[in-house]
Amino acid sequence: MSNKIGVYICEGCDIGPQLNAGQLAEFVQSEYGGTCPVVKTAPVLCSQEGKAMIQADVDAEAVDRVVVCACSPRVKWDVFRFGDKAVVERVNLREQCAWSYTRPETDETAEGEVPETLRMMAQDYIRMGIVKSQKYQKAEAEIPEVTKTILVLGGGNTGLTAALGGAKLGYDVVLVEKEAQLGGFAAKMYKQVPYSYPYTQAVTPDVDQKINAVTAHEKIRVLTNATLEKLEGAPGMYTAVVKNGNGEENIPVGSVVLATGWKPFDPTARVVVADQTACEAQDSEAVVETPAVEKGENVLEPLGYGKFTNVITNVDMELMAKKGDLLRPSDGRPVQSVAFIQCAGQRSSEEGHLPYCSSVCCMVSLKQAGYLREKNENGKAFIIYKDMIVPGVQELYYKAAQDDPGIFLTKGEVAEVAEDGDGGIIVTAKDTLLGEDIEIKVDLLVLATGMVPTTLADPVVNLSYRQGPAFPDLQLFNGFADSNYICFPYETRRTGIYSAGCVHQPMLMGAAEDDAAGAVLKAIQCLESINRGMAVHPRSGDISFPKFNMVRCTQCKRCTEECPFGALDDDEKGTPKPNPTRCRRCGTCMGACPERVISFDEYNVDMIASMIKENEVPDDIDEGGPRVIVFVCENDAYPALDMAAFQGKKWSPYVRFIPVRCLGSINTIWIADAMSKGIDGVLLLGCKYGDDYQCHFAKGSELCNRRMENIAETLGRLQLEPERVQQKQVAIDDYDLIPQMIEEFMNHIIDDIGANPYKGF
Amino acid sequence: MAQTNRIEPDLQFIRDLQAAGGESLKKCYQCATCSVVCPLSPEQNPYPRKEMIWAQWGLKDKLVGDLDMWLCHNCGQCSEQCPRGAKPADLMAAMRNMAYQNIAQPAIMGKLMSAPKYLPVLVAIPAVIFLVVWFITAGFGTPVDENGNVLWRLVFPQTAFIDPLFALTAIAVALIFARGVLNLIKTFNDSPQAPVGGVPVMDVLKSTWQVIKDEILTHAKFKSCGGDNTDRYYGHMGIFFGFIALFIVTAYVGAAYWLGVFTGLDLKTPMSLWNPFKILANVATIGLIIGLVLVTKRRLNLDDAKFKSCYYDWYLLGVIWVVVLTGMFSQLLRLANVPGIAYPVYFLHLVSIFMLFAYLPWSKLAHLVYRTIALGYARKVGREPKPQV
Repeated sequence: MSNKIGVYICEGCDIGPQLNAGQLAEFVQSEYGGTCPVVKTAPVLCSQEGKAMIQADVDAEAVDRVVVCACSPRVKWDVFRFGDKAVVERVNLREQCAWSYTRPETDETAEGEVPETLRMMAQDYIRMGIVKSQKYQKAEAEIPEVTKTILVLGGGNTGLTAALGGAKLGYDVVLVEKEAQLGGFAAKMYKQVPYSYPYTQAVTPDVDQKINAVTAHEKIRVLTNATLEKLEGAPGMYTAVVKNGNGEENIPVGSVVLATGWKPFDPTARVVVADQTACEAQDSEAVVETPAVEKGENVLEPLGYGKFTNVITNVDMELMAKKGDLLRPSDGRPVQSVAFIQCAGQRSSEEGHLPYCSSVCCMVSLKQAGYLREKNENGKAFIIYKDMIVPGVQELYYKAAQDDPGIFLTKGEVAEVAEDGDGGIIVTAKDTLLGEDIEIKVDLLVLATGMVPTTLADPVVNLSYRQGPAFPDLQLFNGFADSNYICFPYETRRTGIYSAGCVHQPMLMGAAEDDAAGAVLKAIQCLESINRGMAVHPRSGDISFPKFNMVRCTQCKRCTEECPFGALDDDEKGTPKPNPTRCRRCGTCMGACPERVISFDEYNVDMIASMIKENEVPDDIDEGGPRVIVFVCENDAYPALDMAAFQGKKWSPYVRFIPVRCLGSINTIWIADAMSKGIDGVLLLGCKYGDDYQCHFAKGSELCNRRMENIAETLGRLQLEPERVQQKQVAIDDYDLIPQMIEEFMNHIIDDIGANPYKGF
Repeated sequence: MAQTNRIEPDLQFIRDLQAAGGESLKKCYQCATCSVVCPLSPEQNPYPRKEMIWAQWGLKDKLVGDLDMWLCHNCGQCSEQCPRGAKPADLMAAMRNMAYQNIAQPAIMGKLMSAPKYLPVLVAIPAVIFLVVWFITAGFGTPVDENGNVLWRLVFPQTAFIDPLFALTAIAVALIFARGVLNLIKTFNDSPQAPVGGVPVMDVLKSTWQVIKDEILTHAKFKSCGGDNTDRYYGHMGIFFGFIALFIVTAYVGAAYWLGVFTGLDLKTPMSLWNPFKILANVATIGLIIGLVLVTKRRLNLDDAKFKSCYYDWYLLGVIWVVVLTGMFSQLLRLANVPGIAYPVYFLHLVSIFMLFAYLPWSKLAHLVYRTIALGYARKVGREPKPQV
């Protein structure tokens, strides 16, 4: 606990005119004079003079904690830094007080004076800031031994690019490929869709050069015919157990790039997804279950696949083109005409079909139509599509391919595929652009089928994590190792493992190369953060770790099961075993623990509980107004709040915002503390959860919601209405909805439920 | 099921269309902006969208007998608005060019008129004919009459040569057109895509007369074409009425000459400058030049991302320019009495007139017959006029 806290109050940006900094300074001196020897005001704290004033106090060792009462902590953080000797706490008097204040009718303060409700609000925030600063303990970084080796899983185009990238930047790379040769599908392709200017002609893949560069590179160790049996340990200190022809080998690695790619769609496969509700799994078996694959009917049979010899898939077509001429499978005669049916077995909710678009098949069909035209001047290629999906700059490729006189495109619904006497295929299509139903006869029919990721029914990374060997919740992404968030595209649910290429999302080879570059840079960032004891994303640079007071642990296993990143393993008794480098510092474990065993030096249960209790809560709701605590997650909700204030939105003066790392870190004891203090309601503002989740820690807000449902029961037993606690989902652009959310909640408290019966106890 | 057509794209036809002016036709992706902005296109089965997809798929039998290609008056709004630069207006023009090439017999003429490499042959035919005559009559000399003035008849006799030649040419062209028109109507009737329209009307003669009265003489469609069509409206009017006026003058000159031959009256050319027909001819020439300047200026300033002129366009413009300029200078040189230059210029005038009229059924100018007939046919089947909404 510190008692050399300096409190500095800014008068700039509307704070001074509205709030009377001098009055606030007096308040601090009278109530907190003991712990706050220095209390100063300044016209513009972020100016050179303001900053120098604070620095002087720090240098003179008059203070070792600095509480800056000014603008939002999200701005001017580069200004309010005073070196290692001072820890800075920010109190948001600008956005949360001056800018968003609405004066209630019941406030009868005289003209020219700071309104009573505003003054009380500012004072509460300063109180909370001081208490937080007192309870703050500086964390010490834990620096582990880090293996600066990157494991790249998969030796196709993506893996090769990632390996070369990592090696070029000076890191050792171990490349594990399960086939006997490198190159993946790229090595079996005749040509690829162009990914560089002028984007108009398909080009020969350069994967052979990449293979040569990788095998020749001294920093890259290539293991072919090899599989990853187990990945033990944690980021920075993994042990990859790799099996190849010579047996098993334990290879120390630091981070992983997952580039295991895709498999062609199997029209007879049916994926069965197990229920992944974490809370229900009470036993110590794997929490994360990998989907299983069963056999069903061939869904492509109506399109002739498996029925007629001259119906093949786009994968078959590519392999054939690479080998040489395009020949009819039935009799080996050269192909004079070919038809492509797009979206075969895809973009459909029917059983056995892929529900998504595989992104590349339209361009692949244009490319393969070009193969026929290249090999046969009078060849005819027909493409029957639902839509031509050619994202971004690939439009130029589409335009160029269209210009070929022998390629015919039309939208249409394929009504029937039949075989003619000579083996030719007759395709009938309805609702075409030609204004009528059409029938075409071709030598060869190519079904543009999609891709499924290697992670669909196989853990692939085989983690020795208590939560299971695979990535959790991949059914949200149809099995792709995606993270469903624009902000961190390469992240997975397992820290230290970054996905790239088609295992991540269906994409073209050029895009996969970009993806590989990003993933390997993330893998490097991971190593270079862990070796300084820092978290990577999203709390980059955070050196604090959750600490466990195991004495009070009851082995309930909630923390081990609820950690979104599987950071906690456990022993036979169920005592959690933290793996610090897996941790992203969200605090979900802290929120989960019913015994409050877990805490961070800089952020813990006691700190927030003290902040709640430090608020001044009037005994009479009619005289002093209600009081509502709003927990605001720092990722989306707090920025939205700042933006709302910036845009001039206003709300009730009876709310008190407390920022938290993630709603998942909210421990239910804080609700209890708020209720016993007489606070009338608790509103939780955090990121969206569910299928389209935006929670930056994947599961935090969803877990919070579930926990709040659980404590409704507890509140009921205390004769408290469960609706006193509500959670709302806020996206970063929902700033305009915030005033409405607050108003609805306040009205509900005031009009429907009334005062907390525990007020004044 | 019986309605489903077996589609067999004709690859060579696509290449022919691309060569005839539709080089960007493959760029179309069927967004239908062209059909929406076209001010003349009917609401049912509008053009030029369907022509674009038919052209892309090489569906020759649908395109050959398409009535709509003639309803289009080439205002260019479709190409202006096309987001892909597929130049639908140029495709419609290319379809018409293919029609000029293929409808009239003999087909060899269509081929000769289709590409610049045959131009020397086209020039050579009349050039040789007139040079032979010049050799016979004057040994390539430049004779003058008893007053020392240039007199065309001395080199190119009217009775013996000019009138019979051009009369035969006119009769031949008329017969070729007659057969061509019947062929054209047959293609309309045989077309698998029956033109959909409103109420079928009356008989062909009445509908054709309506077309001439309501559309051609008023140039009404030029006005309702979208965008700024001032240049085309006045340009085409100048050229059109200029030629009609010159036709009247030529008819008078021919009639007067042969009347004189049979009655002994001297009604030979050259006419006095104050002769009303001479005045008409000179006014017509001025109108023609103004019209030519307007349409040539417009064509030269076209944005080539959206419009590409082709050989058919330049051939016709070029020939008419030569006809008008050589005609004007022939008169001026005759009046100034410079035989050494006058006769060669007059020779060029005759060659270019021959190229304009003898080759008429296979040139872009054939539209004066084909489009008129097509518009008449459109009224007959009810595809035009557009119902008033």
